[in-house]
Amino acid sequence: MQDPRIRIVAAAFLSVAAFISLQGAAAAFLWWLVFTPRLQIAKRIRLVFSLILMIAFFSLVLELFGGGGLSYFSRMTVIVLIGMWVFGEQQSGEFLSISVWLFGTRIGFELGMVAEMGIQSLSLVTADLDRIRIAEKIKGMQWGVHSLVPAGLVLVHGALSRAEDTAELLAVRGYRSGGTLCPKFITGTIDCVAGLCASGVVFFALIPVSEFFILYR
Amino acid sequence: MGVLMGKITLNRVYAVRDHWSLSASGTFHEGVHLVSGDVGTGKSTLALMMAGLFPLSGGDIEKEEITTSMLSLQFPELHVTGLSVAEECASWGVDPGEILDAAGLTRRKDASPLSLSRGELKRLQLACVLAKDYDLLLLDEPFSSLDCGEKAKLCTRIGQKSQGICVIFTHEQNILPRVTRIWEIVDGTLVDCGTPPCAFQHWRHVPPVIKKLTALGSRPDNISPDDLREAACRIQG
Repeated sequence: MQDPRIRIVAAAFLSVAAFISLQGAAAAFLWWLVFTPRLQIAKRIRLVFSLILMIAFFSLVLELFGGGGLSYFSRMTVIVLIGMWVFGEQQSGEFLSISVWLFGTRIGFELGMVAEMGIQSLSLVTADLDRIRIAEKIKGMQWGVHSLVPAGLVLVHGALSRAEDTAELLAVRGYRSGGTLCPKFITGTIDCVAGLCASGVVFFALIPVSEFFILYR
Repeated sequence: MGVLMGKITLNRVYAVRDHWSLSASGTFHEGVHLVSGDVGTGKSTLALMMAGLFPLSGGDIEKEEITTSMLSLQFPELHVTGLSVAEECASWGVDPGEILDAAGLTRRKDASPLSLSRGELKRLQLACVLAKDYDLLLLDEPFSSLDCGEKAKLCTRIGQKSQGICVIFTHEQNILPRVTRIWEIVDGTLVDCGTPPCAFQHWRHVPPVIKKLTALGSRPDNISPDDLREAACRIQG
């Protein structure tokens, strides 16, 4: 999907649909199967597997002690898959474009820039974490609970010093507020079809399917 | 009785990532090797590949008579696993007393490693890495964050290593140790330039001072500051 505006709105619709009902989750999953590159994204985002495992753990606990674990697992997994798709498709500068398109070149530019910096910081933290794990391997250490404090310190330290560098750079260049940007979006036919289908998924999620079947019987 | 010599052979190894690729073939025998190349050409990736820490897209790496290996990463803060400087030394399996003394950081032993400047942290990292002997020592940008004096000390320390394979991945052009062989990464491929001084003819990243000395008819024997000084003295007679 090329148009980030449709992508974000579709992701919001699908997440709401998956959250409110099981049939909504099923429809959103079907949408995900049809309109996304699926496995190519999963290969690039390893975090998704850990997240699904974590959800599976909490779902099991829920199922054992209160019930509804399976429904929770299905709905949350679909939300994670949708999130993974949005994150995987995201291109540098898109948040800035959307924000300027929505809120203009002053507040919009600043909000977009903050969002872009956040995304960039997230990807740098992921890269740092990979390197820290390599460093532990080099020292012959096993990654475990004992690694969390030093690794966390390095990640926070790195993120803060990068933020300081960026702030200094902006100040040196005389940045005060706002900026100039003419956002351009490419909207393909597939984008429109996928967006319409995503809104259809929300309506489908709101239909009381169980009651319909009771009436039918 | 023959002495067993270690070697590491890269058999058409390659790595591909989005729009970037790196391929390498060649054998690294005992001695000091220099791998040069522009920033972003894949020196760090090659170092990780040789250390067995980067998945190869193809080819294989053979190691003979190499039982111990070490990779020193470019950014020293990424090696930090200890909460104090002394603890950090201990995490490398070395005696903190000796290392801190050598790195001039004895008074900072209880400080957090992240409170050191990058130069101090790099000195600490290199002191820990060079404190032990390894069959294969891979140094990724060891000269970055060091001042001229520290770079010269590092060159001396590397020159003192009498055994094993030491591979230096760097784009440093001024202060370098005496090396056995020169390699470079050009257009995504590792190229064997040969041994100095013949290697200077094919070496695209040859330091300007060597180029200048060669043009003046006094080609240095190697790339260390001593070799360059000796070549310069020859011109002056």
